[in-house]
Amino acid sequence: MVKRKVKIVNRAGLHTRPAAMLVKIASKYKSQFFISKDDYRINGKSIIGVMTLAAAQGTELDLDFDGADEHTMADEICVFFERGFEET
Amino acid sequence: MELINRDHITVEFFFNRTKDKFKITNFTGERGFTRKIKEPNLHRPGLALAGFVDLFSYSRIQIFGNTEIRYLQSLDSGKRRSALEGLCRFDIPCMIISNGIEPFPEMMELSEIFDIAIFGSPDNTTRLNFFISDFLNDQFLPQESIHGSLIDVYGVGILFTGQSSVGKSEVALDLVERGHRLVADDVVIATKKGEGLLMGTGTDISKHFMEIRGLGLINVEKIFGIRSIRYQKRIEVVVNLEIWDANAEYTRTGLDDSTTTIMEVELPYVRLPIVPGKNITVITEVIALNYLLKHYGYDSAKVFQDRLARKLKEADGKSFSRGIDYFEHDFE
Repeated sequence: MVKRKVKIVNRAGLHTRPAAMLVKIASKYKSQFFISKDDYRINGKSIIGVMTLAAAQGTELDLDFDGADEHTMADEICVFFERGFEET
Repeated sequence: MELINRDHITVEFFFNRTKDKFKITNFTGERGFTRKIKEPNLHRPGLALAGFVDLFSYSRIQIFGNTEIRYLQSLDSGKRRSALEGLCRFDIPCMIISNGIEPFPEMMELSEIFDIAIFGSPDNTTRLNFFISDFLNDQFLPQESIHGSLIDVYGVGILFTGQSSVGKSEVALDLVERGHRLVADDVVIATKKGEGLLMGTGTDISKHFMEIRGLGLINVEKIFGIRSIRYQKRIEVVVNLEIWDANAEYTRTGLDDSTTTIMEVELPYVRLPIVPGKNITVITEVIALNYLLKHYGYDSAKVFQDRLARKLKEADGKSFSRGIDYFEHDFE
């Protein structure tokens, strides 16, 4: 199990487009991927789950990855977050 | 699955959720809105007003009923102020006055000094206690978010679990199309309402939306109409959808009641392998109906078992006979 902490840096937050991209990236991998925010823990491969988080700019999220390819998966997803989903 | 631990709600949250439901009125605007309510119990501060503050349950919402108000009325303004001030020096969440009574000027003054909200209720204290306790209890109940779909099938709350893209949403959609009702897809919030009682609902943001791979997001309520949804349902059976695994053992008789535990609540558990040609939707309907039959006292597997046992006891050497003895000239 790999655990990471990320922060939403882009202005618009984790809205529909990045949510869809995140789910797409996550679905390439075999490992389980969960995102936790405040009280909620949702499946990172579910678009509804990710959108339900309604994570605005500045929100901190806890990610956990579990499975055979957890390390490469964690790396790619964390980079995606750090780059602000390729947005400003 | 993750436990949601709520250790407090704010006074603002409390007021916003109760103002319409229980006709709670606000005498003090946004004053004291950030104070926290940390427990579901309520307190009548009679003794505290009289000056006895040992063991004063100050962290509870303070309810001013007829007794408290009458007592305060019996005091002159100065004594009334100091009785109330004794209360306000504690970190109380807020005050509610029942029976539609307006707060004393001294109360309003202290509310401003100590930044404490004063609310009112048109109900008598017994009713107010009942409603507010019920509301607060619900707020502090343990909750858990579950990745799955919850559907009401013939009145039975069926929770589908299983890994991503195993087809939970597709089965849910199929069931909705056949007249069953969707509670939540993808994110189900389970609340433990009591021993052995688990209630399920969706989240405010994803309510009755669903994602179908290759199609995107759809609004089930808009497409299928009001009959296709419901807001809450007791979770009664858990069906885990699995990719067929030749090495796994699946029940063949249904005699061995398997169960799973969610938040310490034991629920009937069905492991359903997905194979081509298997209609999961119809099987789910049968799971629901079979659950109802069992609930009303008929256990199919048990009945078959008894039939076999009786046959074995008869021991007439024959394994089984044709279902009827004689066709009675009926060749239809």
